[in-house]
Amino acid sequence: MRVQTLSLGLYVSVSVSLLGMGTLAGCYGRIENGGLNGGAGGNSQLPGANLPARLNLEGSPQYYRLVRLTNAQWARAVQDLLKLSSPSGLEKGFQGPVVGTTDFTNNELLLDVNQESWSGFQSSAETLAAQVTATDAALAQVYGGTDAAGFISTLGRRAYRRPLTPAEQATYLTLFNQGPSLTGTRSVFAKGASLVIRAMLQSPHFLYRAELGPAGAPLSGYEVAAKLSLWLRGTIPDDGLLDSAAGPGKLDTADGAAALATAMLGEPTATTVMQRFHDELLHFDRYAQISKINVPSYDPALNTELEDVSHLFFDKIFTQGLGVREILTTTSGFAGARTAPLYGMSAPATGYVERDLGSQRVGYFSQIPFLTLHGFNADPDPIHRGVSMNLDMLCAKLGPPVATIPPIPPTMPGQTNRQRIDTLTSTCGNQCHNQMINPLGFAFEHFDGMGQYRDTENGGLPIDSSGSYVFMNGAKTFTNAAGLMRAMADDPQAHLCYAKKLASYGLQRDIVVSDQALVQTLAATSMAANGSVKQVIVQLVRSDAFRTHAGGVK
Amino acid sequence: MGTPPKTVVPIIASPTRRVTINRRAFLRGAGTVAIGLPFLEGLPERSAWAADSPPVFSMFIVAACGVVGNKFFPSATGPLTTAGLMAMPDKAVSVLAPHAPNLLFIKGINFPLTGPTGCGHAQGLCQSLTAAPPAGNGGSAYSTGVSADMVIAPAVNAGAADPLTLYAGSKAYIAERISFKAGGAGQVRAADLNPYNLYTKLTGLTTTTGAGGGTTVDPVAMELVTTRKSVNDLVRAELNSLMGMSALSSADKQRLKQHFDGIRDTEITMGTMAASCTKDGLSTTQLDALRTGFAFKANGMIEDVVKLHLELVALAFACNFNRVATLQWGDGTDGTKYSVPSNASLGWPFHHLSHRVDSDASVGSNPTAEQAHAEIDVLRMQSLLHGLDAFQARGLQDKSFVMWTNHIADGPSHSMRNVPHIIWGNGGGYLKQGLYLDAGNVTNNKLFNTLITAAIRDKSSAPVSFGMGTGTGTIAGMLA
Repeated sequence: MRVQTLSLGLYVSVSVSLLGMGTLAGCYGRIENGGLNGGAGGNSQLPGANLPARLNLEGSPQYYRLVRLTNAQWARAVQDLLKLSSPSGLEKGFQGPVVGTTDFTNNELLLDVNQESWSGFQSSAETLAAQVTATDAALAQVYGGTDAAGFISTLGRRAYRRPLTPAEQATYLTLFNQGPSLTGTRSVFAKGASLVIRAMLQSPHFLYRAELGPAGAPLSGYEVAAKLSLWLRGTIPDDGLLDSAAGPGKLDTADGAAALATAMLGEPTATTVMQRFHDELLHFDRYAQISKINVPSYDPALNTELEDVSHLFFDKIFTQGLGVREILTTTSGFAGARTAPLYGMSAPATGYVERDLGSQRVGYFSQIPFLTLHGFNADPDPIHRGVSMNLDMLCAKLGPPVATIPPIPPTMPGQTNRQRIDTLTSTCGNQCHNQMINPLGFAFEHFDGMGQYRDTENGGLPIDSSGSYVFMNGAKTFTNAAGLMRAMADDPQAHLCYAKKLASYGLQRDIVVSDQALVQTLAATSMAANGSVKQVIVQLVRSDAFRTHAGGVK
Repeated sequence: MGTPPKTVVPIIASPTRRVTINRRAFLRGAGTVAIGLPFLEGLPERSAWAADSPPVFSMFIVAACGVVGNKFFPSATGPLTTAGLMAMPDKAVSVLAPHAPNLLFIKGINFPLTGPTGCGHAQGLCQSLTAAPPAGNGGSAYSTGVSADMVIAPAVNAGAADPLTLYAGSKAYIAERISFKAGGAGQVRAADLNPYNLYTKLTGLTTTTGAGGGTTVDPVAMELVTTRKSVNDLVRAELNSLMGMSALSSADKQRLKQHFDGIRDTEITMGTMAASCTKDGLSTTQLDALRTGFAFKANGMIEDVVKLHLELVALAFACNFNRVATLQWGDGTDGTKYSVPSNASLGWPFHHLSHRVDSDASVGSNPTAEQAHAEIDVLRMQSLLHGLDAFQARGLQDKSFVMWTNHIADGPSHSMRNVPHIIWGNGGGYLKQGLYLDAGNVTNNKLFNTLITAAIRDKSSAPVSFGMGTGTGTIAGMLA
């Protein structure tokens, strides 16, 4: 039975409204497993035994040895396998993953083959086989020779991500030899090749990334090559990588795997992969769903720009060797025609420009995209801002919403937004909003619902964005969002959370209590001077969890 | 949760994993091999219409965010007539007046968990087709039981094919939550959002000229079918080899077994398709427009997608492509901004309208929002009407049933008590028609006992005991 804690989605609607989603949700934060008093004290040191109590490490990993290619991986894989000049687009008709039940849609739990998905793989295999064997010239793009054995071994090694066994080679040759019985004007070679391609594209050895050795034993060089290539390149290993994977002492060592990962991290495809990670981590898809009412500064065309500048921000973080600290503390950001005015800047002539956004905007979460998404029309939305920080950046445990709350009161004359929300949530006591959600959300009160900076509100009332929060290593106080971001950057919790999420994405499974040593190691890398996302990835690749069969099973 | 969920006792069918092609229908598709290839695996094993015991087709629809109770169903139970429904324009279901002789409205049906203990939308969805209490909450909510479609489909579909599982909505939050696998809790099934996918599977199956026959076979298409056996055998052998590996866990082997079971062979036999197995009535222009670059647009598209799905399910049933389908109509907390008159001044997403306040969580009493919700109910009934017209045009009123319900009774309360249910079609003469019925405050397990019995009658006459709830057996008032 699968048990998960809440995702951000519980609290954020496509229309970006004030309170949490779900039922008549009122107090939708409560501490579980001890919660608030678990801090160990100290600064910038990774906590030890209390980690599970503070970090959400719940889940149900199955440690599958066979994880189906994602639809995106399948698309890239068939393009590279068959040397297609352009993407087939056939994966658009595939069954998509169930949405919302796991942190990431590449989770092993979602990647099986059922009747529907098999139907898609079968029909696509037939379509592609027909396409690339339609003429000898087309087939020559896949394989330059005309010998069956060479064709089978060459294509088979790419598809299976390892050399075929003699038995497999023989089986495919038998299938190939049925080719002449086919009608039509294609050559005998093309007919036989079409059958082989159809079968290889439906083979479980192609459709699944397999790790088939004894539990705990290192992955073979071929398995490492496939695992890294499918993750960081989003496709199957190329012929050169397969050549280098052969034999012991190469990719089946930590150094070998790390060296390969390091090289891949410098390739453009890794940026694309990590863009997808940050998309899912911070729910960039929700930018397209933003709508606001009676907000003159809002233009629906802004939605696309919010996603674009977010991609640019995290692309820079990744490609320039930056990390969690910079995500939280950089004052640099990207702006386009619609975001620049919200920052009080002139719009670029075309496209997007990188700008220093000033000392008031520290880190990504003080920039327009996050603040606009978590804004209720023109007003700030401290509850969703606080929930997002708790769940996505701190991996805190927030319990489910409880039923029955009163309607949100209107802001009264002489009342700040903070006071309004405090009044609304005061009945929740210390175990929800007052200690976890509200303090983090109120830190952003200087930014309105469009992310614009303000010094006063509601007719000149001063804004109070101060607060305190009990992080992993103890309580910290801050006066505004900038202070909060710096506190988070100096505390291990955000690093642990990012490490956990990145590990989940890389290992394609839930990260649970038994993984805490791994998470701590990755977080230490992240917290170290100049700690970068790339370094965390390489550290993950070095780990037994990544490099061994059923890695991480306890 | 106490007692484990009960499921249908002795239902039939040891799956043969073999699907045979109706040659005449196959010939219709011979000229469209390029896009028609996918349909081949799903063609029927025999004529649905020449069988001694006619099949019953079943569709289950679950809409979002409740209805405005006093503006939805008639004020009083009793017989339904076209004239009678037309005389109550203040009720949303009056839109369905042309179908009154084939309608069965039911009140007095509760879900096992009758009121929310967390996210009522997720909890309602999880119960709507399972009659089993939910577990988890919000985005992690799941059912503790199997859904009715996944009980019926293995029993009635050739090769135990899975039911059609469809979706209309943005999948923004609380997406697929109505169709659940058997054999374990929480195994929600993915749903297809793009109508074009089903369209491509059906395209090769149909003709615009009726059931007249061609006499030649496209050699490429025919060879594709005949060579599938060789390819499938190779793949099966590989799966068998993998399943024999000691390093694999039972979960891995279960995963491979599912893959193995998903592979179905194809044979070609002679048969006669129903005359209604044609493309006539399909919105082909709209469907073709979805061929590339389909991206669901949050506002304004949901009803169009619903209509296309309904048209295609009607065709799928008429062609005996599949006997069971589900459609989730809206996200759990649906964010669609409906363009109904009363929402013009508000501009709120549907979820907020259903709460009567511009909020996802709290509840208000805005009368304009309530009126907008009532207008959305009418709009949704118009979409349902479009679908029922398509079903009727293919003569399915006597061969199927379409069940429409909601995942909660109404928006403000999120109650799962007295959830409205609409049944269209007599399920092969088993279900009463032309009636507004009070089921008597029963849980929906009894409703599904009745519907499942109707759906599998050509395969089994064993008593059905589905889900959990108070009471057993069928709802007598539903029976013809």
